[in-house]
Amino acid sequence: MVVGEVAEAVDMLVVGGGPGGYATALHAARLGRRVTLVERGELGGTCLNVGCIPSKTLIEVADAMVTPDRVAAWGVAATADLDMSVLQAHLRDVVEGLTGGVRHLLDRAGVVVLAGEARFVKPNRVVVEHGATVEHLDFRQAVVATGSRPIELAGVPLDGTRVVGSAGLLSSDTLPEELVLVGGGYVGVELGCAFAKLGSRVTIVETEASILPGFDDRITRTVTRGLRSLGVGICCDTTAVDIEDAGLVVSGPDGSAVLPADRVAVVVGRRPNSDMVGLVEAGASVDEGGLVVVDPARRATEMVFAIGDLTPGPALAHKATAEAEVAADVACGRANAFDPTCIPLIVFSDPQVVVVGMTKADASSAGIAATSSRFPLAASGRARTLGTGDGFVTVVADGDGTVIGVQAVGAHVAELAGEAALAVETAATVKDMAGTIHAHPTLGEALAEAAMGLAGRPLHAG
Amino acid sequence: MAFEFRLPDIGEGLEEAEIVEWLVSPGDAVVRDQPLVEVLTDKASSELPSPVAGTVLRLGASEGDRLDVGEILIEIDDGSAQVADDTKPIAPVVSAPSADPGPSPLGHVSRPKASPATRKLALEEGVDLGTTTGTGPGGRITSDDVRASGTQLAPAPAASASPQIHTPTGDLGQMPSGRHPLRGIRGVVARNMERSWAEIPHIHSMDEIDAALLVDFRQRLRGMDRPGASAVTALTVVAAAAARALRRFPMVNACIEGSPGESIVVHDSVNLGIAVATDSGLVVPVVRDVDRLDLFALATAIANLAARGRDGTLTAADLSGATFTITNYGSMGGRWATPIIPPGQAAILGLGAVADRPVVVDGQVVARPTLPIVLGSDHRLIDGDLASAFKGSITADLLEPLNLLVKG
Repeated sequence: MVVGEVAEAVDMLVVGGGPGGYATALHAARLGRRVTLVERGELGGTCLNVGCIPSKTLIEVADAMVTPDRVAAWGVAATADLDMSVLQAHLRDVVEGLTGGVRHLLDRAGVVVLAGEARFVKPNRVVVEHGATVEHLDFRQAVVATGSRPIELAGVPLDGTRVVGSAGLLSSDTLPEELVLVGGGYVGVELGCAFAKLGSRVTIVETEASILPGFDDRITRTVTRGLRSLGVGICCDTTAVDIEDAGLVVSGPDGSAVLPADRVAVVVGRRPNSDMVGLVEAGASVDEGGLVVVDPARRATEMVFAIGDLTPGPALAHKATAEAEVAADVACGRANAFDPTCIPLIVFSDPQVVVVGMTKADASSAGIAATSSRFPLAASGRARTLGTGDGFVTVVADGDGTVIGVQAVGAHVAELAGEAALAVETAATVKDMAGTIHAHPTLGEALAEAAMGLAGRPLHAG
Repeated sequence: MAFEFRLPDIGEGLEEAEIVEWLVSPGDAVVRDQPLVEVLTDKASSELPSPVAGTVLRLGASEGDRLDVGEILIEIDDGSAQVADDTKPIAPVVSAPSADPGPSPLGHVSRPKASPATRKLALEEGVDLGTTTGTGPGGRITSDDVRASGTQLAPAPAASASPQIHTPTGDLGQMPSGRHPLRGIRGVVARNMERSWAEIPHIHSMDEIDAALLVDFRQRLRGMDRPGASAVTALTVVAAAAARALRRFPMVNACIEGSPGESIVVHDSVNLGIAVATDSGLVVPVVRDVDRLDLFALATAIANLAARGRDGTLTAADLSGATFTITNYGSMGGRWATPIIPPGQAAILGLGAVADRPVVVDGQVVARPTLPIVLGSDHRLIDGDLASAFKGSITADLLEPLNLLVKG
């Protein structure tokens, strides 16, 4: 390693080892590039270490905790007790298993992984700092995938114990008695369901008129019903103002109140980590919200690509992974562009939510004359055997009968995201969907049933 | 919304049918099973009954037209709320490149309908999906549609696109062993050649012309103090001679349409395609209304297309609409070749390399510059006497290029 101003030459530099960065490194290595990946924290990024993976693990545990209640009516007598330290060990096992897998894949692909924080100092150079060590790397091309970090609220600063972010909430080995979640987006709703099932008294504070802002009303109503039945309090049109010993001070339509809380989690969204890496010094343009301006090839400058949460669009791991392939291809001289028809969105609330492509309202504001068909899960054999019938599957089609969107809410419907996205991406028609034999009894039949409604041949729906 | 009744497969293996007589008109009320139309297939004529009741909105074809199975026969307003379609199996509609693409799919959607694999193919091939007609269900653009569009939009790669001189690069003929998808310019060339070879019975007639006056004429034009003078080449002079011959013999500036052939289309304007070898394959940029250009303007137009070919900035318009093609295979050396006529044309002129060759003058063998020319003709349309007369017109003008300065 060279120390000081003498720069080491790097063929392809990847900054960030999350779902975008490690996928880029693997693709580029497979295309014959010598890849150096710089990661300041743990491989796997937010998603694997403190985001999707630990939260979904926790949600499974939470479901197990309410299973005795669920099965009591079926003649099963069971009890559930939670050992938080075992739970934390389990979370660490799952996370370490996956991050270890990423490291193994990178090693096998011959990717050089450097620990440290990279910062651009000119268009083709980064400085990597790791403790007292400083290294200069001159790259031929770089792909930046440094992700995003939680937005903090001035009135409710994080203290790491009582006031935490989602990561702090997930890694705590004590269960809060009174948990207030500031933010009713998908993270707040998922964590609200999970902690309510684990035994906390949960309140969600949301500044907008309902939880899950931006989602279809019917979905929001169904999820709200689910949260209420878990005993979760929901305060909409309400802002978190201050934190006191007695609890969180909020201001709502009925004035101010103090919500008792031994833990407050601030989950109000994320902002791109474009500032920390010095993308402006690399010659990239960054907008007011910190998003990097990229072309469809994800190129931010002649030599630098940006992907994932740094670029416009939902801050989701699967978007970053898809952009990784585009950036790696284009950097290696292959034609590619990031041009998806849909980026599926799922919420692991109870009931779960899937949104793929356009809703009927999206379509009409885009000037598309769309039709839609909704199949209630109450008519789904599989949903009934799972012990739930609340929810529905909606298929939206344009005037040609092409499937342009799917929305679903209900138990386990997140697993429908794949088929729905495949239909929308491949421009399948409602007849394609209705004409595909769906295994019985599965929730997928509900997709076919909704499509049959649009094809003029409903079977189980009225 | 309208019920679209598409031509069903009424006989085994039927691909198309001719509309003999319409039994209804737009505005007519029809009842279910009422005969709508009499159609003739190669097997029999039959009446097709209406699958729905309603009001006739539009007839999809006129009497005498031929429709492919799956094309819209008639639209009937049946009062249904949503898109309905015939449920009988429908063969895919394949639109020939020269044929009318038919009604475009309803343009509701803000983005083209194509799968990710097809979109990536379009990107690789430089095809604009926004202008590509989809032949799949619901107007979906298939990978085949993208490959077919490549005919129009295949960009000419930057290197070595000069119509005059082609320098083979080190990559010529190189390809890794194994099986490769046939696509891009190569795929388009392959499909065009296949179609030409399968549909057009070729005859080739050859001649070697004493090019002494042609070479002299060209040099004197180049020496003139006029815009475009420096761009004049032997190809310019040959192109001018070909344009004159095409005006004299319109049947050569024509083509046979349909397979098997059904009609002769005689083109209005004389548009000359100049075949150009590029690293990726053959492209044919087109000089329009050649017969209206003087020699200097023609030289400039050809030079511009050559430059655009080198820059890779040829557009779809530059590459379409040729009524006759000249291929200057001699630029790569060589004396004789038997060029293949592009689809939609009736003849092609090949030029060998100009070189000093032995010719007999006044009983003596002497060295003179000669130009080998080959005329390939579609023998369905062009008999030997017409080919000979057409070639004779070009030959006479090249032997005495001053002819080109005279009208008619």
